Formats: sequence, C-alpha cells, structure tokens
Amino acid sequence: MRLNFWFISSFFISLVVAIPIFTVFTSFFENTINSYEIFKDSFLYEYIFNSLVLLIGVLILTLIIGTSCAYLVSFYNFFGSNFFKWALILSFAVPAYIYAYSLTAFFENYGTLYSILKNLFGEGNYNQYIPKFDGMFGAIISISFSLFGYVYVLTRASFHYQSENLIEIGKNLGFSKKKSLFSIILPSARPAIVAGLSLVAMETLSDFGAVSFFGISTLTTGIYNSWVSLDDLAFANQLSFFLLIFILALFLIENLSRKKAQYHSPSRGGLKKKKKTNLYGIKAFLAFLICSIVFIASFIFPVVQMLYWTIIFPENFINLNIKQLIINSFYLIFFTSLILLVFSFLSNYGNRITRSKILNSFATFSITGYAIPGIILAVACITFISWLDNSISQFFEFKSLKKIFIGSIFGLVIVYFIRFYSLAFNGIKSGYQRINRSVDENSYLLGYSKFKTFFEIHIPYLKNSIFLIGILITIEVIKELPITLILRPFNFETFATTAYVFASQDLLEAAAVPSLFLILIASTFILITSKYILKD
Amino acid sequence: MLQKAQWSKEILDKVPSNLRSDYWIGIAKRARIFYYSPERVSKSDLENLTYESLADKKWKGRIVIRKSDNIYNQSLVASLIENNGKDKTIKWAKSFVNNMARSPKGNDRAQILAVAAGEADIAVANTYYYALMLSGQKGEEQKLAAKKVLPYFPNQNDRGVHMNISGASLLKFSPNKNNAIKLIDFLLTKEAQEHIVNNTFEYPMADDVLPNKLVPGNDLNFKQDNNTDVKIYWDKQKEALKIMLSSGWK
Repeated sequence: MRLNFWFISSFFISLVVAIPIFTVFTSFFENTINSYEIFKDSFLYEYIFNSLVLLIGVLILTLIIGTSCAYLVSFYNFFGSNFFKWALILSFAVPAYIYAYSLTAFFENYGTLYSILKNLFGEGNYNQYIPKFDGMFGAIISISFSLFGYVYVLTRASFHYQSENLIEIGKNLGFSKKKSLFSIILPSARPAIVAGLSLVAMETLSDFGAVSFFGISTLTTGIYNSWVSLDDLAFANQLSFFLLIFILALFLIENLSRKKAQYHSPSRGGLKKKKKTNLYGIKAFLAFLICSIVFIASFIFPVVQMLYWTIIFPENFINLNIKQLIINSFYLIFFTSLILLVFSFLSNYGNRITRSKILNSFATFSITGYAIPGIILAVACITFISWLDNSISQFFEFKSLKKIFIGSIFGLVIVYFIRFYSLAFNGIKSGYQRINRSVDENSYLLGYSKFKTFFEIHIPYLKNSIFLIGILITIEVIKELPITLILRPFNFETFATTAYVFASQDLLEAAAVPSLFLILIASTFILITSKYILKD
Repeated sequence: MLQKAQWSKEILDKVPSNLRSDYWIGIAKRARIFYYSPERVSKSDLENLTYESLADKKWKGRIVIRKSDNIYNQSLVASLIENNGKDKTIKWAKSFVNNMARSPKGNDRAQILAVAAGEADIAVANTYYYALMLSGQKGEEQKLAAKKVLPYFPNQNDRGVHMNISGASLLKFSPNKNNAIKLIDFLLTKEAQEHIVNNTFEYPMADDVLPNKLVPGNDLNFKQDNNTDVKIYWDKQKEALKIMLSSGWK
C-alpha cells in the first residue's frame, strides 16, 4: 500500500467523520445512572420494535411510491407526465415534522377538515367520522411522503441511463411489459433503488420531530427521554449504539447485494435514446391519477394547510423577520455545500485511485454518522471538543477550542459536514460508478496526470451528480432541526428552529409561516435546477 | 449550569417560598386542572374530585391526558409521590392509566378538544391553554369547542390544586450578573407582570396584578397547593417518569 496525498487526505476525512461514532461506541461501555437496567428490561425491546415497524412501513411505502412514479414518468407519455416528472421532487421541500403538523391540523378534532365540512353542510358532529392520522400510521405517512423523493430521483435517474438496448433484447425475447419491468428494468436499477432506500432508512431511524409529535416510543424518542428527562447521557449513547448497529447492518446488506454486479453503462455503443410509450384511455387516466395523488398528498396538501393558517392568522406573518432568516439559512447552506463537495470528492477520488480495501471499508463505516440522530451527533461533538480542549490545552497555550467550535457557525458547519457527509459521499460514489475505470486508464495512457484526470475528466462527467448533491444538501440544511437547535449561536435562527420554537410553545399557527417559507424556498431551489437534474 | 443568586427582599416578599430556590425564581404561575363535559359528567361525579380519585373505576375509559414524556405530567406525578408516597403513586398510576380513553397523544389543547368532541369526558390540562382557546387566537372552531367544556379545580378540600411556575435563573458563567438580577426584578414589577399575564394567560406572581379575564379561576378564588415545594418536581422527576412508563403511560 503506497502512502500518498490521496490516501492520507481521504483517510483523514473518514477519521473526522468517524469521531462521533467512536464517541458513541466508547460511551457504550460507560456506567449509566441505574436507569439502564429498568429500561433494558421493559422498554428497549419496545423502542427497537417500534423503530423496526416504522422503518419497514416507510421502506415499503417509499419503495412503492418512489419506483412506481419513476417508472411511469420514465417510460410513458400521458397527460401531465412531463409536469409530474419535476413536480414530484417538490416533496423534498417538506420535512416530516411539518408534514406531521399539517396532517394533524387537517384531521384533528375541530381541525381544518371539520371547518370545511361545517361550512359545506352546516353544524354537525363530524369529528367522529373524520379519520385520525396519528400514532404509528400518521408517522409512517408523514415520513414516507417527505422521503419518497430519494427513491424517486435516484431510480428515475437510473432508468434514464438504462440502455434501450437491454429493453429491446427483452422485446426480442418476447418479454411482456410486465416481464421486462420485473426482469430487466427493476433489477438493473437496483443499486439506485437500494441507495435511495438506504437514505430513506437512515432518515427514518434518526427522525425525531415526527415520531415524537405522534407520541411513538422509538429509539430516538427513547434517547431523548433518557437524556433530557433522566439526565443519563450514557444511556442515550447506548441507545444510539443500537441505532448504529441497525444502520451498519443496512450498509452491509447494501454492499453485499451489489458486490457481484457491475452496473456501468456500456462505454461502447453509447446511449440509445429511449422511446416512451404513449398511454391512452383508462391506462393514461390511471397513470395520471397515481401521479396526481402522490403530488397532491406530498406537496400541495402541506403547503395549502400552512398557507391557510398564514392567511387566517396574518399577525404571525407580519411579526416574523423573514429577511434575517433567509440570510442565516443561505449563509449556512453555502459553507456546508462547499466543504461537503470538496471533501467528498477528495475522499472518493482517493478511494478510486488507491483502490484500497481498508480505505473503502473505513469510508463505508464513517458515512454511518448520517444515522446518528442529529441531537446525539451534536452532543457527541460537544463531548469530544470538551475532551480535546481539556487534554490539548494542557500541552499548548491554546485555551479557546470550545469557543471556536461550540455555539459558532464554524462548529455548526462542521457538524453538518459530519451529518450530511454520506449524502455527498454516496452521491459522488454512485456518479463514479457510472464512469468506467477504463476511462481513467485511457486518460493516464494519454499522459494526463491524476489531478488533470480529476479536473478535466471526472468533474465534467460528474456535473449532474454535483448539482443533485448541492440540491440535496440545501434541502437538508434548510430542513435540519436538532443540530441547529443545539449548536447555533445565540440569536441565530433558521426557518426550521423558528418553526420548532413556535410549535413547542403550542403555537402551530405561528409555526406555519416559517414552515411555509422553508417549503417555498426549498421548492424554488428545486425548480431552478430541476431541468438540470432531470435532463433527458 | 446555574449559579446561586441573592434575591432582593422585594422579590422574596413577592414570591412564595415553595416557588423559588437559591438558583431560580418563579415569575408566573399556572395550575394543572381538569376540563369536563357538562353533558356527560354529573355534579355528584365532580364532588370532591382530586387527582387521586381520577384512579377510581368509575372513570374507566373516560380520561384524556398527554404523554408521560411531558414535563407538566412529570411534575404532577412528582408532586403525587411527594404527597402520597411512592407505593401509593405506583398503584394510582396503574389505575389511572386503565382509565384513559385513548393512548396519550397530542398537546394540552388536544386533550380539551377531545372532551369537546366526545372522545372522552374529562381532560387534564394547564389553565392557560383554555384561555388561549377562548381568546380566539386559535381560531373560531377552537373557541366554540372550548365553550363545550368547563374547568374544574381539583383537591380543593385538601392540599389545593397542583401549581407550577414559569421561572428565571442565572447561568453559571453569566457575564452580567447584576443586570440579570435587575431584569428578574423588573419581571416581577406590576408593569411586566401585567404584560406576562395578558400574553401568556398565566397567573401573576405579584399580588397587585389580576389574571386575564379569560383564564379559569381569574378571581383567584381557589385553593392553590402552596406547600409542595416546586424543587421536588425536579428531584423526583426521574422517579415520576419511571413510575409512569412502568405503569404503561405512553
């Protein structure tokens, strides 16, 4: 194994990202304050069981919604198919906790639906007939509609790059549409589907806002309870440890399932443009119906509910300093995207050219930091910085390490970096998987240096990936709640923290204004670049 | 995390001793009371009703309250442990959970709305939520719904209704300690108390200010629990949560 710049830098990045994981792992063996025994017996299984039920529910729903929409808009022409192609990614703009607020506001006793029914049909006891979307069911719905976009975007991109040749071979072999879907199209899109689902799984397991709103005892609410109420950080870390085990298992499954398959697009012959099938009659209507239900449920519904609140309680809109919130959010987004892109390129390129198995497994390990609930990630970083401060400052005359990292934009961006590293890393990684290694070899043969290969071959090849990652990071940062809440400097608010603070004071109507802006800004950003992500 | 503070004599006069410590001080009060449906709860049911007697079998399937992770509930149960002892509270919690109309969910307002909608007959919630609903700030539907239920102050013939505070304290490394104490002094003046009372719908700490008219018990003609020290809400919080969770209080 040769030690060179790439190796050292990507090793170093993986190390930084892995710090919180090590902190959680080492705290696992610390003593807890008695509560562990009590919880272990009665509640640990319940937490794990509920987390698993939630996970399975969300995975099934996002798989069905994400792949079916991707399939419909990629292979068929029907009324609105071009509209839905980009409209469906707007669901990215709605965080699960805001979806949960909307779901509750609409269906609760004397909620929006009650008002609508009352205005239409007059007084009546409608509450008992209105379905209540709460508990586990409400959480699965909220999280699924806010996350299916990951599966949709990645699967659609993969369908787009699929060779028409493969499908034509199927046709020549006499495959029916159904058979070619299940034997050719879906299997060859598997890496994308699995990548989308693993993002969904990580987000689901670390969701706190929606599950706590619906009152479900999962690992994350267990962590919160044991930390905030029982003041037992060690037990909180032990629960995070279980979460990490789940995630690690997910990654192993993903890696094993992909091991034997090569999914590069063929470098010879190029891409043959796919011909979309035109749908007519009932089939066209069904395709339209499915896509519009998903679009309305995932995006229009929460936006309209928030808009409705903003209109009937206008004072909340007038009292909010929106300009400052916009400046704060974009400040964070810019720096986070910049360092995430630079460093995940470094790490991926290092992995690609060293082909080191150790480095590769270390990187795979480090991106599981994404699964650590933001709340624990923030605390793990505070713990680590304090430890570093105490041990380093003894040797150097450097006293203010804590001040640099904690309660500063710098510290916030670093923890964002750790949290969203897997998003950037995986994005670049799957982009790289589409570049055949022989491209690199050709470049070297033609006398290009490794740096020149990187800047003049890889970067142009990966432009799509970079933009997609940039969007995903923007959406994530603007929606991010727990890390911002804990590590933000005094008097520094984002839309997410403002919405949260209002919601926690039982002022959901006031939370509607920052929520609405959060959704609109995120949507605008998606729309600006949607042509680029979905370029055909 | 907090530092000890020397409260001024004025402050000590205004704030009852069970609502302050060396580290923090109450600046406003709230009570955790019951809300019942006058259609489904009879006068005899209401006679001498206490937190303790909500564990009676006659309330089976009729009570709504929020989750055990909620701090108001933890404080309430801590106060029960303090007043009745741990063993009795464990028994109480088990029977109380059996009486719940549904698995706990939603905030305090959602409990009141559940009674209004007929899902349950009695709700446990803080006083200011009801005033908030009556004020119309939560919309017309909630205002009408709030009028379908009535507030009830429990434990009037014994220790009084469970009280809690909004408080202020000094952070350990606070750089402007003197100004911080001045701010707290100000929060207890008539001017600040009037502002607090009319915006949060809490009860005032200062005697020279009246509660907002929409708050239940705005004449302050009800017995408050002035003996249970708010300090124990924290001391017994973990114990309370464990009792709640192990009795199946979600």
